[in-house]
Amino acid sequence: MNRKKIAVVLILVALLLLPCLASAQEKLIRIGALYPMTGRSGLYGMDSVAAAEMAIDEINGKGGVAGYKLDIVFTDSKSKPAYAVRVAERYITEDKVHFLFGVVSSGVGLALTEVSKQNKVIFIGTDHAATELTLDNFQPYYFRVSNNTFQSMTAGALYLKELQKTKPWKTISYIGPDYAYGHSQLEEIQYNLKRFGVEFQLVSKYLPKLYEPDYTSYITSILKDKPDILVSGFWGGDTVAFIKQAKAYGLFEKMTYFHPDAGGNYEVMSALEGEMPPGLILSARHHNNWPDTEANRKYVAEFKRRTGRYPTYAAEGAYTGIYAIAKAVEKVGTPDNTEALVKALEGLQIKLPEDPEGFTSFIDPQTHQIVQVQAIGLSQANDKFPPAKMMLGDWKIYKAEDLMPPKELIEKKMKK
Amino acid sequence: MDVYFIVTQLISGFTMATLLFLVASGLTLIFGVGNIFNFAHGSFYMIGAYFGYQLVSVWKVNFWIALVAAGAGAGVVGMAAEYLFLRRIYGRAQEGGFQILLTYCLILIFDDLVKLVWGTEYKSISKPAGFEGALHWGEIAIPTYNFAIIFIGLVVVLAAWWILSRTRAGRIARASAVDREMLGSLGVNVPLTLTVVFGLATALGGMTGALAAPLRSVTPGAGIEVIIDSLIVVVLGGMGNFWGAWMGAMLLGEVNAFAVAFVPEWATLFSYLVMVVTLIFKPEGLFAPTRLRKA
Repeated sequence: MNRKKIAVVLILVALLLLPCLASAQEKLIRIGALYPMTGRSGLYGMDSVAAAEMAIDEINGKGGVAGYKLDIVFTDSKSKPAYAVRVAERYITEDKVHFLFGVVSSGVGLALTEVSKQNKVIFIGTDHAATELTLDNFQPYYFRVSNNTFQSMTAGALYLKELQKTKPWKTISYIGPDYAYGHSQLEEIQYNLKRFGVEFQLVSKYLPKLYEPDYTSYITSILKDKPDILVSGFWGGDTVAFIKQAKAYGLFEKMTYFHPDAGGNYEVMSALEGEMPPGLILSARHHNNWPDTEANRKYVAEFKRRTGRYPTYAAEGAYTGIYAIAKAVEKVGTPDNTEALVKALEGLQIKLPEDPEGFTSFIDPQTHQIVQVQAIGLSQANDKFPPAKMMLGDWKIYKAEDLMPPKELIEKKMKK
Repeated sequence: MDVYFIVTQLISGFTMATLLFLVASGLTLIFGVGNIFNFAHGSFYMIGAYFGYQLVSVWKVNFWIALVAAGAGAGVVGMAAEYLFLRRIYGRAQEGGFQILLTYCLILIFDDLVKLVWGTEYKSISKPAGFEGALHWGEIAIPTYNFAIIFIGLVVVLAAWWILSRTRAGRIARASAVDREMLGSLGVNVPLTLTVVFGLATALGGMTGALAAPLRSVTPGAGIEVIIDSLIVVVLGGMGNFWGAWMGAMLLGEVNAFAVAFVPEWATLFSYLVMVVTLIFKPEGLFAPTRLRKA
């Protein structure tokens, strides 16, 4: 090897080592994130990753917080609790992360909240809806920055109560996936309808397995039950499959389809394009066309510019999580004082793309659940967010404070 | 319980059963002929669905042409997979274990490949022109597209039966299941036979993926959930038994349709229950011929 070559090699080695040196000098807020990146929930994981990176670039671009730069590592959770627990433990012991972050599946969320509790490391939950995490399984180091199913089912029950005035209905059927998420929605819609004094009769309930590819038998059976309202708790691609299969049977002309937790997800609209029936009552944890504020428009446009696609609801949860961390560290001045960070996150106010004018999301100090406005709308023609040809409109807005569980329920569940 | 509902539910079960059968047919074919358990069969279903999406939704090709092309495309990918990978493990001492590991790897690889090419967003295909509506008969409404599926299923089962039992190619394929060595010494190119059969089996899977796409969502991981139910069908019918697979699918479809109608909360349990009972009392399959084939 001649001298010239040796010199080139040395320069290359120096260049390779440069990032290590840089990071050694820089003060970092270390975040260990887990998202599914393969299989069916990969879409939500990839969107969350993109949105978290977007928030980090925005914050670091302005010089970071309190002299710190945000630094995040992503690992595929594979949607497997046991595997995710091992990764989280490695994050804590080897990478010395200040925050655990992420998770699409409530199953993984429930496993990680235990790791967070044992190691006293804050876990920011960005997108998993099982209410238990902020009630029955509450622990001081867990915070959730997206709505849970209790909030969406409370808004749903209020919507159905109003609907009874204009369009008298009596009977409902329920269909949702056969796991925690599907079961809690069924329980919560009934609990809330009763709480608001709505008279109704549940004529049938169906709990097909998650990712069931064929709903034909369920559809013909629901048609026989003839409910006034079909309450749906499907998630992701299952909504797409159900709507496609039910449409040919004319199900949507025979009953009101009501899907307040995840039916209005953008990926459902974009997958169905022109096949999405009009007049379905839907909602989601974030809407690309509501609220029509500067902040939401900017957020959606920037995400589109970076990824080439419009965001799903999961993205905004991750985006929120990063801003919550930044705000908390800014208040405390260091990412190393966990107890002070917990105090800072409790009651933290944070202005988000999904906040309408005059409202700021905040974290409920008692349950560590973010409190947000919910908007429920009807599907209608709108081609401003292609490839979707239908979006939601005719919004009904539900105040954030009204969607929290009543005090007695919180106390009862948290005591357990 | 009125007659209309029972007829509707029967037809619902029949539709579901046909799609189940079409996926399972490829699985049972390649098992019957090559003794290969292709765990990745669902991935070929998924690849077919994506090919269908590319052809119909992006390139605006006629749906029925796209259906055949998607099947052919998946078949070519299948033959390549067999030629490049599976062929290398034939005849190993523990071939079965290697087959499962290897085909499981293929699932992971194909899942990531479709993600790289088409992204993670859900895709979908519209129903072909003329098949959007439903036929009405009294209170019963049956989507016309479901009829098309049932018809295609019948064509496939009859064609496959005819090819396997009435043609020379079919006889060679069946013979390779019984004794590969003897067949080879009779001058038949056994490796080529296996590659072609593997191609046909995966083409069936791929075509079914494209056929089901107008009713389902096209997404990475879509192959996983169909493989489980297909496996139940194959077990019910007897591994490698074509007619058995058809009857197994019908049984499973109808059990499911009526379980959903009468005991909705326990509906998912029933398909597994049927499989467990079969495995205990008639492990060779409910519809296996009484004259057992030499293993």
